[in-house]
Amino acid sequence: MTAVLLPSGLEELWALWEQHPTAMPYAGGTDLLVRLRKGLAQAPALICLERLKELQCIEERGPELFLGALCTHQELLEHPLLRGRLPVLAQALAVLGSPPIRHMGTLGGNLATASPAGDTLPPLYVLGAEVELCSPAGVRRLSLTDFIRGPGQVTLGPREIVGGVWVAPPSDSVRQHFEKVGLRKALAIAVVSLAALIDLTPQGVVRGARLAWGSLGPTVVRSPRAEQALLGGRLRLPELRAAADIVADEAAPIDDLRATAAYRREVAGNLLLRLAQYGGG
Amino acid sequence: MPGVEAVLTHAQVRGSNRQGVIRKDQPVLVDDKVRHCGDAVALVVARDQGTLAAALGLIELELEPLEPVLDMTRALEPDAPLVHEDHPTGNILLAGELVSGRGQAALADCAQVVELALELPRQEHAFLETEAGWAILTPEGTLEIVASTQTPFRDRTEVAEALGLELEQVRVSAPYLGGGFGGKDGVTVQSLLGLAALACPGRPVKMWWSREESFLAGVKRHPARLHYRLGAESDGRLRALDADLCYDTGPYDHLGGVVMTLGLEHAGGPYRIEHVRLRARAVYTNNPVSGPFRGFGVPQAAAALEQAMDLMAQRLGLDPIELRRRNLARRGQRVASGARLDCSHGLEECLQKLAGHQWWRGRGAWKAQAGPFKRRGVGVAAVMHGLGYGPVVPDVANAKIELTPQGKIRVYSGVADMGQGNASTCLQIAGQVLNQGLENMELVLPDTERTLPSGSASASRTTFTYGQALIAASGQLRRRLLERAADLLFVASATELALLPGRVRHSASGRELPLARLAALMQESERVAVGRHRAPVSQERPTADEALRLHGLPHAVFSFATQLAAVELDELTGQVELKGFVSVCDCGRLLNQQLAEQQMQGAMAQGLGYALCEDFAVAGGRVQTPDLSTYLLPTSLDAPDMDSLWVQAHEPSGPFGLKGVGEVGMDGPLPAISNAVADACGLRAQRFPLTPERVLAVLGRPWAAGGRP
Repeated sequence: MTAVLLPSGLEELWALWEQHPTAMPYAGGTDLLVRLRKGLAQAPALICLERLKELQCIEERGPELFLGALCTHQELLEHPLLRGRLPVLAQALAVLGSPPIRHMGTLGGNLATASPAGDTLPPLYVLGAEVELCSPAGVRRLSLTDFIRGPGQVTLGPREIVGGVWVAPPSDSVRQHFEKVGLRKALAIAVVSLAALIDLTPQGVVRGARLAWGSLGPTVVRSPRAEQALLGGRLRLPELRAAADIVADEAAPIDDLRATAAYRREVAGNLLLRLAQYGGG
Repeated sequence: MPGVEAVLTHAQVRGSNRQGVIRKDQPVLVDDKVRHCGDAVALVVARDQGTLAAALGLIELELEPLEPVLDMTRALEPDAPLVHEDHPTGNILLAGELVSGRGQAALADCAQVVELALELPRQEHAFLETEAGWAILTPEGTLEIVASTQTPFRDRTEVAEALGLELEQVRVSAPYLGGGFGGKDGVTVQSLLGLAALACPGRPVKMWWSREESFLAGVKRHPARLHYRLGAESDGRLRALDADLCYDTGPYDHLGGVVMTLGLEHAGGPYRIEHVRLRARAVYTNNPVSGPFRGFGVPQAAAALEQAMDLMAQRLGLDPIELRRRNLARRGQRVASGARLDCSHGLEECLQKLAGHQWWRGRGAWKAQAGPFKRRGVGVAAVMHGLGYGPVVPDVANAKIELTPQGKIRVYSGVADMGQGNASTCLQIAGQVLNQGLENMELVLPDTERTLPSGSASASRTTFTYGQALIAASGQLRRRLLERAADLLFVASATELALLPGRVRHSASGRELPLARLAALMQESERVAVGRHRAPVSQERPTADEALRLHGLPHAVFSFATQLAAVELDELTGQVELKGFVSVCDCGRLLNQQLAEQQMQGAMAQGLGYALCEDFAVAGGRVQTPDLSTYLLPTSLDAPDMDSLWVQAHEPSGPFGLKGVGEVGMDGPLPAISNAVADACGLRAQRFPLTPERVLAVLGRPWAAGGRP
């Protein structure tokens, strides 16, 4: 039997963790419990974070939004601030896991797991999100690229947890787009996914482009060259095709059971063509 | 090790140590060589799961590596290692051929010939309840086994022989199963439980496979390679068919020969084709064991034939439904296998209904509304599916029914209910004959000690055969109750009495006799009635090959179905989305429409998985998809709304006109979906399932050549 500790606030968490230094914290458990069952992780004790109310808020703080790490995907998905201001993230959350998993899993968990296929990651990359980390010593903020160092590898000090995410919502001129290619409609690990923020002038000219792909490399993949290629042009097929070729050329994905590297490369580029829908014909 | 009660190997198996139905070639515990990755070598009995896991980890296997046979091509090579050295036909478990007319030679005279090669995947049953059971050796020396099984009576024989027990020493019972689909048509845990129980007399032993164990050791649908050439006249009359079907049966028979034979029988489908050569082989390999799975060899055959039909329709410029309608073998005519169809036959009406369905009539407009980078298509398939065991193995059921001392009607069901609901249908049938509602009825689930041998819950024959036996038993009990009541009520004739829920009533006088009172006045032997039914067999002899007849060819009664799939393809990703599905089925009269519709919906979901995402991958003899996160079943979100329509062609040999519905829905989804994909993009993939990657490879880059956005 594994002991499960249930702190009801951060102070209690730090105290319990001190008493049980080898305990492993978790939120929804949708990744950790699977790993424990498979014997891929060992936990002498578990600390369940689901009662930490401090980390379950979604609110506007100045120019930024704060998304508490312990918000479930479903809570985020249903929140008007998310839907209105961060549709790229909302679109990703809508296809994350399955309905039951969205009711259990949390944003903090998706970050801390740092899977190459984590569905919230490409949107958070293009949004330039920052991660807030909490420990008994206090709070610090890291860029997402500093936080996620590799597949399953994150920057977390001893007795430190993910507290939340800070995001500055893009302006209204920015088109927000997310698409995930999976092998079924739920419980599908992304074969490739694309998050895109495209800032268009009133005339439809691209003046800013931020692109990020999931499942295309060990962590989220960016392509400054493809972004550059879109600048100054319109969202039409020839321009998008040129950017797609750059991505297909640059990407170095892997073969696995779900798809070959060649398929991932091709589709990573193809997904850009979908942006033509924002080009107005 | 403390807590370990027994460690058993083949040395402790006192019987034949062989299981199987036709060819008994599967050991309880391996005694000569390991033949696949899920073979059981040793059995450990422990006090608790933790001890068991630790003990299993301590086992050291010393194996001498042998050259494996990892695919059918290699298995058929003359210098291939033999999976079973003692099998007279080497790595060919069974081969069969049906030839009529001038066979494949007639293809040369056909105005049009289409050709198709296919590779179909291994499919996992993935029932909710994995293989499970418990057993005990009683102080009286009876081995009692309670198992999740479709075949309690056959299991009893197999276990007794394999373990060296007398038949009377073994009792098997089969409470409700959490799904079977054919994966529990044959021994799974039963002999292992028996062996463990014999080693620990008086103590209950339990075995419940984890999902991973079920994936590793459970049977699968046969992967298959098919090659079809179909020839027709320019007016659309089918004239010749040359079909070659090759099934990877894994290392053990496990009904693989029977599966292949059913595939062979259905290789030409429900059509009249004068000149045919149909060939099928079941091939031994060292891959996971293939065995029964809903459809039983027919989904593979239908996958090829029904795609060839669409290719032909396209070639001839004919409507796909019309091509099928024109070539149907009608009642009294011969189907391509050479056997005459004498059963009720509603397929023509099924096709008419489908042709009039909104999805078919409105498909042009629907397809035209596809969005950017999307293509839409609609496809159909028509199938037939034989019921029961064929001409040699007796397809028999024995029903027993009792008026209990308390005045209830108790049905002793000899056929397992694995979730399809036949137990409810049993009560419905007996309730109909005896005019009793559920509140007056009880059910005893299959148990070799209490219920009578009734064969398997399989082959679309469960209710078809058992139902008739139950009608006979119920009718007998009804007569007896009324006659005894007439005596007791001093009424001249039983015809003056009415059997009502819980009582018998003399209509003229209004006098009533409660069934409990009647029961008290009857002896036990009077309160019990039995009925036997043997399903009709075909008198046709399309082949002189006695082995094929033993393996079930030909069948006498068939259910029919036609199905429609509407799909949307994504040109950028190759994803295929099933947007609509229609099934029009003739399975005779419906006794319970809700259960019948659930059968069709389940078959649609399982067929959609077979067509689009389920692929039990094996490489080098090892499972690459060991669990539900890597083996992808469709989810509820992947299944579209479905329309189930019925043509109820009364079948005189079935209970109240019913025919089996368990499998016929499984045969059409894959070809219907593939035909819909071809309708959308004009192309076909050779390998299934149709993963996005395979579809994208077929599509190429349509948008690169100035295609529409």
